[in-house]
Amino acid sequence: MALEYSINYVANNRYENPVKEAHWQFTIIPEANSSQEQITVSFQNSLHIPHDISINGYGFQTLRVSARQPLSEVVFEASFKLMKKEVNPFDFQPEGNIEQTYKKMGGLDFKIDFEPFLRCTRLTNLPMEYGDIFRFDFSKAVFDNLIDLNKWTYEHLYFKTNVTNVDTTLKEIIEKRHGVCQDFTHLFCTLARANGVPARYVSGYLHQGNGYFGDSQMHAWAETYIPNIGWVGFDPTNNLLANTNHIKVAHGKDYNDCSPLKGVVYTVGTNETSHTVKVKGEQQ
Amino acid sequence: MLTKFYLKTKKFPNKCKIFISEAPKNRYLLGKNHFMTNLENQIFSSYQRNPELYDEIYDQKGDIKEVYQKLFELYGEHSIEDYVNLNAKAKSSFFNQGITFQVYGDNDSKEKIFPFDLFPRIIAPEEWDIIERGAIQRSKALNLFLWDVYHEKKIIRQGVVPMDLIGSSVNYLDKMNGVDPTGGIYNHISGTDVIKHNDGKYYVLEDNIRCPSGVSYVICNRTALKRALFGVFNHYQTHTVTNYAENLLELLESVKPKGVDVPTCVVITPGMYNSAFYEHSYLAKTMGVELVEGRDLFVENDFVYMKTIRGPEKVDVIYRRIDDLFIDPLEFRPDSTLGVPGLFAAYKKGNVTLANAPGTGVADDKAVYTYMPEIIKYYLDEEPILNNVYTYHCSRPDELKYVLEHIPELVIKPVDEAGGYGISIGNRLTKQEVERVKIEVEANPRKYVAQPIMSLSVHPTYIDESESFEQRHVDLRTFTVMGKDKEFVLKGGLTRVALQKGNLIVNSSQGGGSKDTWVLKK
Repeated sequence: MALEYSINYVANNRYENPVKEAHWQFTIIPEANSSQEQITVSFQNSLHIPHDISINGYGFQTLRVSARQPLSEVVFEASFKLMKKEVNPFDFQPEGNIEQTYKKMGGLDFKIDFEPFLRCTRLTNLPMEYGDIFRFDFSKAVFDNLIDLNKWTYEHLYFKTNVTNVDTTLKEIIEKRHGVCQDFTHLFCTLARANGVPARYVSGYLHQGNGYFGDSQMHAWAETYIPNIGWVGFDPTNNLLANTNHIKVAHGKDYNDCSPLKGVVYTVGTNETSHTVKVKGEQQ
Repeated sequence: MLTKFYLKTKKFPNKCKIFISEAPKNRYLLGKNHFMTNLENQIFSSYQRNPELYDEIYDQKGDIKEVYQKLFELYGEHSIEDYVNLNAKAKSSFFNQGITFQVYGDNDSKEKIFPFDLFPRIIAPEEWDIIERGAIQRSKALNLFLWDVYHEKKIIRQGVVPMDLIGSSVNYLDKMNGVDPTGGIYNHISGTDVIKHNDGKYYVLEDNIRCPSGVSYVICNRTALKRALFGVFNHYQTHTVTNYAENLLELLESVKPKGVDVPTCVVITPGMYNSAFYEHSYLAKTMGVELVEGRDLFVENDFVYMKTIRGPEKVDVIYRRIDDLFIDPLEFRPDSTLGVPGLFAAYKKGNVTLANAPGTGVADDKAVYTYMPEIIKYYLDEEPILNNVYTYHCSRPDELKYVLEHIPELVIKPVDEAGGYGISIGNRLTKQEVERVKIEVEANPRKYVAQPIMSLSVHPTYIDESESFEQRHVDLRTFTVMGKDKEFVLKGGLTRVALQKGNLIVNSSQGGGSKDTWVLKK
């Protein structure tokens, strides 16, 4: 059964001192893909500054606002309507010969094709001493190993807000064992890559009201590439496979490639940003 | 006479001050001129030749090369004092024109003039032909390599070069995957550093294809030399170097975005505190285009505009002298104030051309250099015209064996370190150090490459301290510009001189000087 989603995103930015010039880039528009169909996109701000619709470095849609007038507070509000098709994550053909699959993944062509998503980034850099923290069982299928990794990540970390931030290293996350969806996703991606599976960081929305972790803000999960199957979404924060409840916005190597809000602001002093995300799904 | 002098000082107070600071020595020497004798090659009377080094002005038999003969005759009429005097004049002219540079991190970071020597380097037409063809060949091959690594990556799939060249390169921008730069050009401007080894052959030391600088010095050196030594210069049929800017502009215009009729080009600079700011302003001025900083531009609906007093003006081609990671704070380093928010999206949509293209830096990695002969052969099916310094990859067992046995004759370099860190020069190591390097290389063979120690050719250079000509090592930076179906190599280049005796490092930041470089017409 398909779901029609209404998404409302509000960001309120307050600055201690007046801002002379600012540029904001929002990567918050749900992606149009085989399971998602955009119906409406609307975006406005409290200062009535016109916006551009552009793309980020990977071609995902962005909303860009440039203010050239002094300001100390601005509220952005976006609403989206979209149709999400029923997604059954288990609906695929088996991988085939396990040995051959791993052999393919070890091959040069595979490594070239998925190079960006096999790469270590600053946020997905596995510390040497944890090199063996999660090793695949190569007698099992890739998908089954990833299911195990999803569960392992879910059990290794405790969901706790306000203890980590965008600069928290993976080492700290592994050792302190807590974090939010970004941290779960970074850890999952890092370990999938360490085992030779291409993994990308996905930013998006999560259906609210089902009691999932991470649904009060924009959510993050991972997509991994399995030969003969394709990209499969894993949500390690909830020990789930991405399904009809997951609305994808963008992907990248890590959080920095698809963070929902990027800003370049010319001011001194502190600033405060608060976000509110409302996601409502109705069965069709 | 007296009044005239007085008027002059009033009119150019600055000039005089600077001149006077150098004056005591000069005046003394000027006085001596009256006793000048016309001994042949007097100014070279104390020139000492080390026979082990390749001297640019002598042929194999030890005679002065034909191209330098005339120069020798002409210089022979003068004394060293004349020369000293002229050199001082040329230097003050540099200072007055503001052609200076600063070294980062120096505590007393005074502006320095780029040490300049009036004794030119002369390159015969046949020799230049090799350099020029070689520079074009390399630039073309690197351009095809860049296209390939940002598209199908055939060269890696076919095992010609290893995966690590992109996989472990910090300069590889995966966001450039699948982007087609206008005209298919990535490295619009390349600076190829060549040296002559003691076997008399040219070797490339480095390909600089990020933001190579130095071309303004080439033109200023020529201007200064012509002013000081016109009587010598006009005895030679030398190619001009002042046509660089017009060629650069023409080729930049040839890669204008689709649908643009007459493109607006600009030069973007990090600002006046950048060590090469003089060059940025020089190039903008001579091309007749605007020199801008990031804050002078803005992006709207994925088009780039320049703020002018007449309102916004659309910009089509940007010659950028800002590194990749600083061009757009929304896409790359968020703390960059040098770039333009939204520029990369405008570029990806094909609405503006950036020269050089983002991500070009992946091809001037040290590791890529070692594969240049293979890269040239692969894309152009040609033998390299300019030699590469032979590189032993310690990851290959038989080459590792050779390296371990010949460390004192080799330079050992880590593949992934930049800026000269971790380099061991074999003939400068003690026995214990050689052993230590051996152990290190054996433990991490993949991390190291080794090259024979190159002996850069030497050229007579005037040395202030000894007030005489001495042999100093030189290299040559050439400048190649590529546009749509057209390329241009500046007939000349920057001959850089290592001013310290025996020093092989010719960088201006390390106290190197420069010479005018004459390429003779056929």
